[in-house]
Amino acid sequence: MSVLRENWRVVVLVVLLLGSTVALFVPGAPPGTTANETAGGDQLTNLQYGIDLSGGARIQAPVVGMTAEGVAVGPNEEAATQQAIADRLGVDPIDVEVRAAQQENQNGTVEVLNGTVTNEEFRTALQAEGYQPSTIRDGVTQATRDRMVTSIRDKITTSALSGGRVQEVNSPGGQSFISITAPGRDAQELIDILEERGVVRVYAVYRNDTTGNWTHQQVLSQDEFASISNAQNPNNGGPQVPVTIEQSAAERFQSDMAAAGFGNGASCNVEASDHDSVESINGTCLVTTLNGEPVFIGGVRPSLGQSFADGSFANDPQFVMTTTSMDEARELQLSLQAGRLPADLDFENGNQNTLSPALADQFRTNSLITGLLAVLAVSLVVYGRYRRREVALPMIVTALSEVYILLGFVALAQYPLNLSHLAGFIAVIGTGVDDLVIIGDEILQQGEVGTARVFQSRFRKAFWVIGAAAATTIVAMAPMVAFPLGDLSGFAIITIVGVLIGVLITRPAYGDILRSLVLDE
Amino acid sequence: MVAFEVPEVDYTQYSNRQLIAVPLAVLAVALGVLAVTFAMTGSPVALGNDFTGGSELTVQSSDSISQQQATDIFGDSVVSVQQVSGQDQYIITFDDSAEISTLTSQAEQAEGITVLQSGTTSPVFGADNQRLAVMGVGVAFLGMSLLAFALFRSFVPSIAIVISAFSDIVIPVAIMNLVGIKLSLGTVAALLMLIGYSVDSDILLNNHVLRRSGGFYESTYRAMRTGVTMTITSIAAMTVMAIAATLFGIELMASIGLVLVLGLTADLMNTYMLNVTLLRWYKYEGVNR
Repeated sequence: MSVLRENWRVVVLVVLLLGSTVALFVPGAPPGTTANETAGGDQLTNLQYGIDLSGGARIQAPVVGMTAEGVAVGPNEEAATQQAIADRLGVDPIDVEVRAAQQENQNGTVEVLNGTVTNEEFRTALQAEGYQPSTIRDGVTQATRDRMVTSIRDKITTSALSGGRVQEVNSPGGQSFISITAPGRDAQELIDILEERGVVRVYAVYRNDTTGNWTHQQVLSQDEFASISNAQNPNNGGPQVPVTIEQSAAERFQSDMAAAGFGNGASCNVEASDHDSVESINGTCLVTTLNGEPVFIGGVRPSLGQSFADGSFANDPQFVMTTTSMDEARELQLSLQAGRLPADLDFENGNQNTLSPALADQFRTNSLITGLLAVLAVSLVVYGRYRRREVALPMIVTALSEVYILLGFVALAQYPLNLSHLAGFIAVIGTGVDDLVIIGDEILQQGEVGTARVFQSRFRKAFWVIGAAAATTIVAMAPMVAFPLGDLSGFAIITIVGVLIGVLITRPAYGDILRSLVLDE
Repeated sequence: MVAFEVPEVDYTQYSNRQLIAVPLAVLAVALGVLAVTFAMTGSPVALGNDFTGGSELTVQSSDSISQQQATDIFGDSVVSVQQVSGQDQYIITFDDSAEISTLTSQAEQAEGITVLQSGTTSPVFGADNQRLAVMGVGVAFLGMSLLAFALFRSFVPSIAIVISAFSDIVIPVAIMNLVGIKLSLGTVAALLMLIGYSVDSDILLNNHVLRRSGGFYESTYRAMRTGVTMTITSIAAMTVMAIAATLFGIELMASIGLVLVLGLTADLMNTYMLNVTLLRWYKYEGVNR
């Protein structure tokens, strides 16, 4: 027992090594993975590879748009303002986003999500509507960027792009952009997917009076929608998406609906998530599909039904689709817009990278060989310097275990590995061995170590230098973690975590190992 | 296998002035190179695509590709063609005048060429990267300096660390300019790493001389024995990484490795000539003032 207590640092090291083995090799061990998941990784380990090492594309681009801030628009004026500004600028209403102030004493924002409008035109349009914006700047609001990230994520998931990652990246004091990574695709394919539109159809489902069978009749198609307003949550009525039907289609739509028996309204108890296609729905419902898949199923309110029956609907052809939550309403809006993103991405002013899986494979093997060669070089130097296997061997083993624990950490965090991270690994081997050399020299080269107390005091002296050196490395790397310089932040994170593992775990453990070696002599 | 032992340098043979002249001269030459580059190009360092904007293709080709052939295929936007040693792969760099989608389709139409990698950075993005990289290196350097002062709390030993770290960064950057390596995000990462690495041996030296008992020369020799081993170990690792990665065509790792080799070699000189001298002056003359 006392042996274990004296060498508790070695015990911690061994426990962490075992833990890393589990994280690396037991399928499904890292949280959020399943035993048979292989996407983006390989079969052997739980490591995730980024596009450098598995092939794929990465696109980083700002969002197209302009924001007017400090616009005094009230919560009830959003829809009207949106329409008015869109008309003045000659753009589609969905390219204008109006947000009223969220709190008292604050002003709202108006965004134009269309690259063709100039700053001057936008200001003129706002002023013509009686608004005095405090500033008009390039870029969009946080809320719109959040919606972009959600929408792109949805699109990527529905296009069966497994392992894709979408995130917002902010550069301090600079612009914000959206970063999209997709394994196994090239950048052009990814752009095509982002720009791809779906097909929206609306069906009336009802029981045929004569045959008794359920009928699924298409009553509206995509181009028959005049406009789809933004999802909103008014005080009465709950989360909803208002839609307007083209005047030319309104008459036919209302007579179809009346003929299908919706004249008195209809209640519907079918969940969209339970159905893959409109054909399997048996209930008196209005069903909206995107690419054939039901995205909204609802009944018809008696008042709306009445307006179909008496023909008054065509005078003001709009209705609302009500959902249970605001998230759902946003998603429905996106679906109704046929998967159109809230705004375009400015690919011209971003960056793109594509790496073929063949080259990525080559990088993976070769960087592994490079790493092993570096370890070999370090080992030779250390052995050549000390010429004592019992000093050099634990040094090399300790340095390697540092890398192993770091790998375990990376597997556990499901952090996608790129080339920059591998360079970080090699840097960690370098600093690791440096520190072990400091410990080794301090203890071995100042005369005999007689007692455990002498050992302890020398070890503490060595540790002061190691701690100071580690602190400078962390300070030097820290700014890169916060900066979204793609490759750099990965390198910095790996180096910092590696240094921390080294200082807190492996280097103290090496001290314990060395102590038992020198005190045995 | 060759064993090595760190030789004991007899510092008493050299005056402070003699010792410090060499690293200061090298630093002056390096700063001169940066100044000349600045005067000629408007930037002290040759900036790569990551910072100026531009595109890059890695292609596999059955026939060898010369600069001329690349210009025939892709037009005037070609900046350079570089063969991955020993393989039928070529890295072609373009300025920001060409669209990456056009370049990719031009390459795909050309006979016997397969595109393995394509990347493009817009000038706007590059300018952002430039600003952030300067800020990053600046903040890192400042943080390191403050930490050095906090650790030793006396001016000369702390400033010795700061000057030698500065020189460790400037010398490799100057050599990069001379041999035509452009600054990329990878080399910036290496420069940051260098701040961390180079300070190790400086802290070790300061610690031995200032905080331990024993004479100056004995302490210095002890610190040297450990410090030189450390730096040589790191140089060995980075040399292997630079060579292997160059052979394999992994640009990022090759440039990180190369910059670290240059910087660590400069660090050997700076630590054991510049730093030692400043400490000796501080120990024998500075303290008494």
